[in-house]
Amino acid sequence: MQRLDLRITELDNPEYSRILERAEKRIEEAILYALVSEGRGSDEVEIPSFPIAVMMVAATNDPFLKRRYALAEAKRIYSILKQENRQKLNEVAQVFNWKVKPAKTEAAKSQTATSDFTLHFTNYLKNTSNLRESKWKLVNRNMLNGEAHLTKDEAARLLAEEVRAHVEKKLDIKIGIVLPKAVTKRAERLKQLFLSRRGQMRQEEMPRETVLDAFPPCMRQLYNMAPSGRHISHIGRFALTSFLINSGMPIENVIECFRPASDFSERMTRYQVEHIAGDRGSRTKYIPPRCDTLRTHGICPGMDEICRRVKHPLAYYRRKLRIIKTQTPATAPRA
Amino acid sequence: MNKILTQEFIQEKFAEYYRQNLNSVKPPTSFEKREFAFLLFKERTMLRHKGFKNAEDFRSFLQNVLPSDVYYSSAYYEKPEEEMDAKGWIGADLIFDIDADHIPTPCNKHHDAWTCKNCGTTRRETKPERCPKCGGQKFDDISWPCPICLESAKEETMKLIDVLDKDFGFSTKEMKLAFSGHRGYHVHIENEAVRTLDSIARKEIVDFVMGLGLEPALYDFEKGEGPKLDDSGWKGRIAKGTYEFLLTATTDQLEKADLRRKTISLIIQQREKIVESWKEKGPWKMLKGVGPDNWKKVIQQAVERQSVKIDTVVTTDVHRLIRLANTLHGETGLKKIEMHVNDIEGFDPFNNAIAFSHGIITVDVVDAPQFMMEDRVYGPYRNQRVELPTAAAMLLLCKGAAKIMEEIVDVQ
Repeated sequence: MQRLDLRITELDNPEYSRILERAEKRIEEAILYALVSEGRGSDEVEIPSFPIAVMMVAATNDPFLKRRYALAEAKRIYSILKQENRQKLNEVAQVFNWKVKPAKTEAAKSQTATSDFTLHFTNYLKNTSNLRESKWKLVNRNMLNGEAHLTKDEAARLLAEEVRAHVEKKLDIKIGIVLPKAVTKRAERLKQLFLSRRGQMRQEEMPRETVLDAFPPCMRQLYNMAPSGRHISHIGRFALTSFLINSGMPIENVIECFRPASDFSERMTRYQVEHIAGDRGSRTKYIPPRCDTLRTHGICPGMDEICRRVKHPLAYYRRKLRIIKTQTPATAPRA
Repeated sequence: MNKILTQEFIQEKFAEYYRQNLNSVKPPTSFEKREFAFLLFKERTMLRHKGFKNAEDFRSFLQNVLPSDVYYSSAYYEKPEEEMDAKGWIGADLIFDIDADHIPTPCNKHHDAWTCKNCGTTRRETKPERCPKCGGQKFDDISWPCPICLESAKEETMKLIDVLDKDFGFSTKEMKLAFSGHRGYHVHIENEAVRTLDSIARKEIVDFVMGLGLEPALYDFEKGEGPKLDDSGWKGRIAKGTYEFLLTATTDQLEKADLRRKTISLIIQQREKIVESWKEKGPWKMLKGVGPDNWKKVIQQAVERQSVKIDTVVTTDVHRLIRLANTLHGETGLKKIEMHVNDIEGFDPFNNAIAFSHGIITVDVVDAPQFMMEDRVYGPYRNQRVELPTAAAMLLLCKGAAKIMEEIVDVQ
């Protein structure tokens, strides 16, 4: 911004309107299509429109919009980086301080899939935590001496992840100055657009009562184990407790579930359940771990049909609730 | 009365150890950024959130409090003495815990026992749903450090070190290895690059080490170039595990792997040919009529054999408290002791981790399985008075399997 000699206070000036328009367009595209187009305008518009867009999104103060916008910008970067050569990708990676090297030919030869880069596993792990395809799991990656092998396209994908995290971080800053009207007006309009869209996207509210029939296999097993007094691991208890709370079960009922456990202590259980519910301590309401974490800790008893389509026990619960609901005549869709 | 006497005796012995070995208790690196915790003898409560400015303060605190167990955080904090939410997490070492509890062992843990919290019945067998005597449902578990369990733990640890060295590229200098003082080993990695990994990234490391979520189709066994014995990483491990499984599996094991009957008979008939095939491209394309689904099941078996059995919770927890080296384990009277990764093969916990090497103690043993100490086998004992070298007696006392009678100190 400094380099472009652009002052935030001057943004009301009509000569900047093209930049503001493009900034607004970026966000609108993110809201409507979850991506930002490459943009055909000149660099004078395209380049400054990004920081302005970041400012607008930050001004909406909506965490969901922030996430969606960061993701959309990352997708834009991915489509650009995909077309770049190795040299360029390497340069971009250096900007983010990646420990990256061009893959040696001998190492590449032993691979069936070609490998263009090696990346230190710490950089790799930090940028794959949101990627769920099994090829991204470290265990499915060729790794030698701490270096994970990547193709050019995969490197572009991970750089896009880095960009996403970078944009999210930028969006998280508090704006300490009064923004010009041209910005706030647009931010407000975008926020309304997003809210109306999200209203459509948002899934139905959780029902008041916990519906046992909609529990995923893991939670059903834990829930059945609890009253028999059989030992449940610490993480199992955490998963079950947070699941029950998020399914709307009252705290008292959750505590009762654990009463038969061999080491039950009402005081300790109450403390822990209330903590997980966000009534104590950090005031964070916890959600259960996602499916792959439950799998790591040996809590997943094996998947059923619905499990294959979801990544989180609560997502399973919502989906199953919808199925149950459509099966009951009262709420059956009208012809 | 006897119980109190026993506890006081153990505490006095621990005090004696710390008096004589205070300087060997090595404070961890980045001392002032760690949280310390002490399990107290009397109240059996944990004194947590302690921080120290220097080793001196820490040692004098240790001598005053005389705890049964001493822990420090794998994490580094801005303010280690604050409550969890206010500590200011900076990072954490990468730690692995290998404990016989998580490994299927050849001894089947026959030495482990349970005690009913209601009527006090103790049996050395798998824990029942209800106490056969009183119907109680609450139990205390008693596990024993047994040579077979510890040998299995050692094997797993060596597998782990191999993965950390070859796949992750950690140098032997970066890996701190220790016997835990009870039934396993700890490996710590103090390395700048791993320090800031979050729990999700650490979970991926756990999955890698255990081979969890490994997708056989991504290992190209369906193409001509299937895993070979000299491949690196999991590709090589799949080959080694498959080699072993196809060579040694009994019909029963092959059936348990859910393989088709035709596949099973092919494997059994062609064992020699399969062994030969590894000299070239492996058996992947050799067995006519064995489809990808059956190969996937074979690979699952291979992965299971090569997987390192670690405690998944310890590695993924970025706030973990872990026992400090050269302090005593309250359940055994043995010490946690560090060693170089190259020395693990010859390490013998029942010789090298002994904290009390002098004197003889007479104890009343209630119930103890056969156990080992300083190259000698003791027990099993049941309701009898025995005279034992201090280390052996301390194990029984710490386990609550014996009560104190009198101490006869060696005349030196």
